[in-house]
Amino acid sequence: MSRIDPDDAAQQPTPVVNAVGVGRTYRRGQAGLLGRNSDATVVTALDDVSAAINRGELVGIAGPSGSGKSTLLHLLAALDTPTTGRIEIGGTNTAELSERARSRLRRDHIGIVFQRFHLLPALTAQQNVALPFIEWGVGKSERRDRAELLLHRVGLGDRLTHRPAELSGGEQQRVAVARALAGEPELLIADEPTGELDSEAGANVLDLLADVADDRAVIVASHDQAVLERVDRIIRLRDGQVVTDA
Amino acid sequence: MSGRLRNALTRVRAVVGIAIAQLRHDRTRTVLSVLGITLAVLATTLLGGVGIGVVETGEEQFDASGRDLWVTGGPITLAPGTVGGFENTVVDAHEISAAIEAREDVNTAVPMAFQTVYVSTDGEDWETLVGTGAPGRGPSVQVSEGQAFQHKDIHYADGNYSGPMTHEVIIDQRTADMFNVSVGDTLHIGGTISDARANEFTVVGISPTFSRFLGTPTVTLHLSELQEVTGTTATDRASLITVDLKDGADPATVAQEIEREHPEYEVRTNREQLEATLERQAVVLASGGSLVVLAVLAGITLTANLLVSVVYQQRRELAALKALGSRTRTLVGIVVVQALFLGLIGGLLGVAATIPLGMGLDAVAASLVGFENVVRTPPWVLGAGVAIAVPISLIGAAVAGWQVSRLSPVDGLR
Repeated sequence: MSRIDPDDAAQQPTPVVNAVGVGRTYRRGQAGLLGRNSDATVVTALDDVSAAINRGELVGIAGPSGSGKSTLLHLLAALDTPTTGRIEIGGTNTAELSERARSRLRRDHIGIVFQRFHLLPALTAQQNVALPFIEWGVGKSERRDRAELLLHRVGLGDRLTHRPAELSGGEQQRVAVARALAGEPELLIADEPTGELDSEAGANVLDLLADVADDRAVIVASHDQAVLERVDRIIRLRDGQVVTDA
Repeated sequence: MSGRLRNALTRVRAVVGIAIAQLRHDRTRTVLSVLGITLAVLATTLLGGVGIGVVETGEEQFDASGRDLWVTGGPITLAPGTVGGFENTVVDAHEISAAIEAREDVNTAVPMAFQTVYVSTDGEDWETLVGTGAPGRGPSVQVSEGQAFQHKDIHYADGNYSGPMTHEVIIDQRTADMFNVSVGDTLHIGGTISDARANEFTVVGISPTFSRFLGTPTVTLHLSELQEVTGTTATDRASLITVDLKDGADPATVAQEIEREHPEYEVRTNREQLEATLERQAVVLASGGSLVVLAVLAGITLTANLLVSVVYQQRRELAALKALGSRTRTLVGIVVVQALFLGLIGGLLGVAATIPLGMGLDAVAASLVGFENVVRTPPWVLGAGVAIAVPISLIGAAVAGWQVSRLSPVDGLR
């Protein structure tokens, strides 16, 4: 697994993720003959968005539906590439990477926590957390040990052999956080991480995210005011543009 | 071992573990899919086994008949509304047989006829059976009880049908059971009920030879006596003439020569006769083939359905793993390994079930048509059963794998 050198990061204040003048447009419309859009319109989801996020920051992305939150999150997670501008992760412009290289970038440098956890129901908590290690060729016993450590770290040391259906929503989200931390990523992105949880479980997950933000950049997209009150900085979007970044 | 190879093996082992966990987790669907593949394999092995059994049994029956050539005037067909019910196409059968037998390369030429006859023990309760007009003697006739015919066809009397009727009949065990008769008992036999009332035959032997040959219960009389009781003496009709060649004679050559001498008749070797018989069963064979194809398609559909439904149900989870950087080939591998397991288990179960079910089918066939060993499943048929399970599962996996490859990692965030 290739890693960004933390010493380098300390010497040069390179943001973990840096969005520079990012724009993203989509073509929408009815498909005509041969799959072409005969009556397509261009929709601007993001327009000239810039933001740099550094190690140790817990940043919230807020905004009403349709403001471009999801689009920005996809771009920051290297799931998509901008139409204009650039997204740099660890100094690498994601638009210059192939699909496969972006997949490797995500595997090695980015962790993602989903609103609905997305754990494989057939696998135990430990097995779910161990999944990312497979791609690095980590052996079975080491996978198990490392997954166990991660689950202990998120407070689920006593739930190793439980399957998702046997866990509460909050516990499942903590398993998902542990899975996202498997590669010790410099960047952790969480999409509405408390959206499916009650307030107590949501607070526990926020504590966890705040805790892991000490040595990495954490970005949380949320509508939840309780979440936004806990972050260091909020990037507010409206109609695809940054309204405030403070 | 290089690190790269070790990593690849580690990934493969992990993929196998996840695949097995998935199969164990979705037990109902797993069982249904295995069942589908098992049925497809069973249909293939059993129908294949029946096909092989029919061909091999046919060959054995023809070989066991001790005959080398079969002379016919075309297919033996039913002739509704006529006495006897069969259209026997060989005319002047005794004369033609004698002419063929006169050849230096021929041992014997024996005319045989098949007619539907009425049979009764008391002249009151009647059954219709196939009556066979045949010599009923010689080494090719197996007798389990009593004896074969002791006389030649003396009633024929050079075409005058003036010789004495022996009134001897050989029956098979099923006919004996049907009428509750044994050697020494008598049966009324005739082409019409009045003819049958007037002709009482004594059972001289119990033999499976003719019923096996025809696949139905039968009563065997001397040919001229069958012709007499079915009213076909005027044209001396027979269904076919069987020819036994002398050692060293080439059946194909002799067949060509006989055909030249008697152009109105077809002369076939054992294999040609069997092939002609099978060709007439083309619809049945095509139906069997269609069933195999349908069974295989059903297996593919069930497996594909299982795997696709797993992918569909877990599309968000799989997309999430893609978003986390899992390789598409790892995720497709999980699906493919599941498919291979399903195929392997289904294939082995299908093969294992083939043996007892084949024996059961054999027993049913033996009781219905008198043939034994109709279902034959040599090792290569069983191997083919397993082999067919693999592509069934892999086609299913290809469909599901294609779905996985199309999943967008963004779907995990929706």
